[in-house]
Amino acid sequence: MYLLKKELKELLTPTTIVILVLCVFGLTALGSIMDSEIEKSSEETGKINICDQDKGTFSSAIIEAMKAADYEINEVELTGDDYVKQLKDLDLTSVVIIPQGFEQQMQDIITSGEGVELKPVNIEMVSRLESLSLTGNMEDGSMMATTAIDSAVKTVVYSKMGVTPEQMLMLEAPVSLKETTIVGDKQAEASATMLSAYVMMSSMFVPIVIFLLIIYSSQMIMNAVATEKIDKTLETLLSAPISRLSVLLAKMTAASVVSALYAVAFLIGFKDMMGVGGMTDTISGALDSSVVSQLGLDLSMGGYIMLVAQMFLSLLITLAVSLILGALAKDAKSSQTLLLPIMGMVMIPYMISMFTDISALGPFKWVLYAIPYSHTFMAQTNIILNDMPAYFGGLIYQLILLIICMGCAVKMFTSDKIFTLTLNFGERKNKYAKARKKFGVKQ
Amino acid sequence: MTDAYPPNEENVLEVRGLSKQYKKGVYASEKVSFSIGEGEVFALIGPNGAGKTTTIRMIATLLKATEGDAVVAGHSILTEPDKVRENITYLPDEAGAYKSMTGMNYLKFMAGIFAPDKQSADEYVQRAVDMCGLGDRLGDKIGSYSRGMIRKLLLSRAVMSHPKLAILDEPTSGLDILNALEIRRMIRELAATYKMGFLLSSHNMLEIEFVSDRVGIIANGHLLNVGTPAELKAQYGVDNLEQVFERVVKDNEIHVSSEEGA
Repeated sequence: MYLLKKELKELLTPTTIVILVLCVFGLTALGSIMDSEIEKSSEETGKINICDQDKGTFSSAIIEAMKAADYEINEVELTGDDYVKQLKDLDLTSVVIIPQGFEQQMQDIITSGEGVELKPVNIEMVSRLESLSLTGNMEDGSMMATTAIDSAVKTVVYSKMGVTPEQMLMLEAPVSLKETTIVGDKQAEASATMLSAYVMMSSMFVPIVIFLLIIYSSQMIMNAVATEKIDKTLETLLSAPISRLSVLLAKMTAASVVSALYAVAFLIGFKDMMGVGGMTDTISGALDSSVVSQLGLDLSMGGYIMLVAQMFLSLLITLAVSLILGALAKDAKSSQTLLLPIMGMVMIPYMISMFTDISALGPFKWVLYAIPYSHTFMAQTNIILNDMPAYFGGLIYQLILLIICMGCAVKMFTSDKIFTLTLNFGERKNKYAKARKKFGVKQ
Repeated sequence: MTDAYPPNEENVLEVRGLSKQYKKGVYASEKVSFSIGEGEVFALIGPNGAGKTTTIRMIATLLKATEGDAVVAGHSILTEPDKVRENITYLPDEAGAYKSMTGMNYLKFMAGIFAPDKQSADEYVQRAVDMCGLGDRLGDKIGSYSRGMIRKLLLSRAVMSHPKLAILDEPTSGLDILNALEIRRMIRELAATYKMGFLLSSHNMLEIEFVSDRVGIIANGHLLNVGTPAELKAQYGVDNLEQVFERVVKDNEIHVSSEEGA
């Protein structure tokens, strides 16, 4: 019992308790953010924007039937087939279009005699792809729109017209959906759901790589500096005739090289892993590959360079902060504890960006924007969706942070703060003050 | 009694009113003054938390003095720390070495830092190899060394470049009697042959008495007394330095702290 008590006392430090409390509150807060996002998405999904280009009695009856079935219908007007500007102006993410001639086609089906080959009547769905997140994809209501129109068509037909058994069978699937998706200022005939699923599957390893890279490089350099300080090899090195700046730069460069090697290994490994079992092939098989390129949803060489640039900046910030934190470590245990702030700063945006768009989070997004790694996790989406102000804004913010962090690291290494500053969790009193008090010496 | 601070152009170290004040007026070291001549071995003794390591670290340019100055081979630690580092080597107390390196690679790495050219670096390494006496074990990783072996490796590293001033904090801690004796003889020999100055800190009074030319007694951050071992023994009317230390502690009502590093 005494042993257990002692072990628990050693493990349940004030720091551990703070972390436990933060975990409870932090994860609860994360959960409520995600809940509200999913709720918002569900509300969005409940709305169907319809553009009735046919303006016939049949299409009007269908819309009324949908309204009667408790669907929230928003009737809009679209002209021509250039939907990019029109959807943007109307601030809509998707519109179902009942094309001209819809009623005629329906009538042709209904009045056709037996033995005539019947084809489903086309309606059109135009969607703007604004997010690659899970909740973002929920906003695409193509499936619901199809179901709703199917149901409405059946209702109208059954109630107003006499139908043959063949016609009844046909009416089980009376419409097929022709989808057009808009990305930035480009549009192409493809399903937004399929496109975002394809992009997610083919690039989901990037945030994982970023997460692993930051955690690994942070731990690596923090341990290196803390070990040098604890083993006093740093004292030997800094009292030797070499520039302190060169000691700092050598550490940063070596850690960057090793981290870069890990990044490459992770990227290759994950890319191969995603190829196993045809995970992306299944989706890409259902998509015309030229559509992905046409919409700019695959990263070009320039896009990859931009992504790597932001990853590199994040890595340098990590190394600079870890270097400072490692130098503040009093012992090996405290160096592990000091890793927690970085882990928190990576975990929060990583988890949130997995489920939703950080930029769509309301006022809370500013808190996340303050975390440098949020911009790293957002970079890929920003590049793909051609949101350059968001990408460069994040890049500039990270650059400013890097300069500040590097300045602090240089100041620490070139002064005696590297030996005098330590973070003693729970030990607030200066040891010299304690010693003097013990000796009874007046200050 | 020897003067605590006799100004002399041939001194390798002149410490002038050196102080280190931490926050809230807490002094770890206050107005410490002494000097070390060429080929002289000077030892700082005092209880734990007395200010020995702080004084040593200031001279080694690791800590910035808040008052006073120290001049090493004509260079101020305040204004020319880079020049000072060219003239000193520092061996911290309980220092470790890079565990993944072999002993030989460690010596080559450190020689590369201290030597002006490749030829000198090779000479430094050869000297260190001869001094440390680790033989074939130099090819093994330092992680497999005993504490005594690491100390011998680090000591030979500290003196291989024949610096003007070698600062050794507890040089023989962790060494057995035979190895400690060897190190003491080595320090005396290097001081006599190459006119190297040594600044030592030790709790081993027997060692201090054997190896030091002069001794400084430091307590509560103040340098209380400086003299040769013989002078100090005569002054306090005792037989050895341990008794001198005991008298100083009692006379100044110093409580021996269990804390290290001050």
